[in-house]
Amino acid sequence: MQEYLHGIVIALKGVPITLAVSLVAVLIGLVVGLLVATAKRSRFRILRIIGTIYVDVLRGTPLLVQVLILAYGVPQIINSLFGVSFHWEIKIVIGFVACGINSSAYMAEIIRSGLQAIDVGQSEAARSLGLSSRQTMRYIIVPQAFRIIVPALGNEFITLIKETSILSMVGIVEVTRQGQLWASQSFLFFQAYIGVAIVYLAMTLTLSRLVNYIERRMARSDRS
Amino acid sequence: MIEVKNLEKAFGDLKVLRGITETIKEQEVVCVIGPSGSGKSTFLRCLNLLEEPTGGEIYLDGQKVNSPEVNIDEIRTKLGMVFQSFNLFPHMTVMGNITLAPIQVKGMSKEEADKKAHELLKTVGLEDKADSYPRSLSGGQQQRVAIARALAMDPEVMLFDEPTSALDPEMVGEVLAVMKDLAEQGMTMIIVTHEMGFAREVADRVFFIDEGIIMEQGTPEQLFSNPQNERTKGFLSKVL
Repeated sequence: MQEYLHGIVIALKGVPITLAVSLVAVLIGLVVGLLVATAKRSRFRILRIIGTIYVDVLRGTPLLVQVLILAYGVPQIINSLFGVSFHWEIKIVIGFVACGINSSAYMAEIIRSGLQAIDVGQSEAARSLGLSSRQTMRYIIVPQAFRIIVPALGNEFITLIKETSILSMVGIVEVTRQGQLWASQSFLFFQAYIGVAIVYLAMTLTLSRLVNYIERRMARSDRS
Repeated sequence: MIEVKNLEKAFGDLKVLRGITETIKEQEVVCVIGPSGSGKSTFLRCLNLLEEPTGGEIYLDGQKVNSPEVNIDEIRTKLGMVFQSFNLFPHMTVMGNITLAPIQVKGMSKEEADKKAHELLKTVGLEDKADSYPRSLSGGQQQRVAIARALAMDPEVMLFDEPTSALDPEMVGEVLAVMKDLAEQGMTMIIVTHEMGFAREVADRVFFIDEGIIMEQGTPEQLFSNPQNERTKGFLSKVL
């Protein structure tokens, strides 16, 4: 029993890193995803094509491979192309960038479907009142789309928390890596990874409850 | 006030409007009737460029509307529009719906916009609904709010696109009553409608649109009691 508890305590030490990476990645993903979603809805064909390729490539390749390319491939290619010595000073930045970019592809699709779900009559009504397309986005489309996509954004955040475990492969000491390190010292593999699993479960369950709560509150304010 | 010259609109190969030429005078109330798919809604939607015409010209007070040089947002503030499906903003209260454009587009102060909104709600008989959300209102009430919302911009012309078609029968009267009041106050109105009784009573002129052109137009008496065109006769015999 003692060992299991210890496994949990060890895994908990990685929680700040795991949450930090997830949170920063979700924010990067949201901002970049919004840009990509806008590109995919653009009048200009070239922007739509770029947006589509971006989403396809990032969703069609494993996050692990993307992380490996960024962590080991990119420094090497920069060295050989520009002759400057480049390596990741702070490893967690790899996590921010890789997970943020990866998430942005999923976010772009979530945002796009949210925007698409708004009836065209809404923007027609706004435009007929003299609102510009920008004002229509800001006051009419985005607020309504936001309500629709909040649950999906929450789910994306939860998915991201689990996916960041991949970063243990490139030496970022988050929850999984903490467990690994302890396991290789103590040889208590079962206890170590059960502890890791419990800690992830605690994070994801808490978050999914929170998302449900926000969703219910928004539904209520809609009805009042 | 509104002058339309040889207006055409095609969606791909489908020619919906095939040359409409008409002039609508100030304070005139025009009802547009015709079979579904005839182009009457498209005609209305071209006037404020919700549909971009593919040919012809539209003038409002002598200014060409369908020209790349004009600020279409500014033109649209002069043309209030009411939709078949109301299109109220569901995330805003009735007050929010009515005051949004005056505040954001005209730069009116919130107090001023609120005051005006209350006055408008009174004229459409919904003063007690100011803080309600659209979904708690009946269809007839929603449409009256939509009319108040359009009026809040002080438009020169009001465009109605089948304003009662989505309503339960018992709610049609309350919306038509508001529109009739508006007509009596001298508002210039163009109304696409299937309410022949209303058209007969309120319109100064009636356009019968079919196959993308105005087949026949005239006063309600002329058009309803003594139609000349065979198509008009055929249509009226089905709907009256």
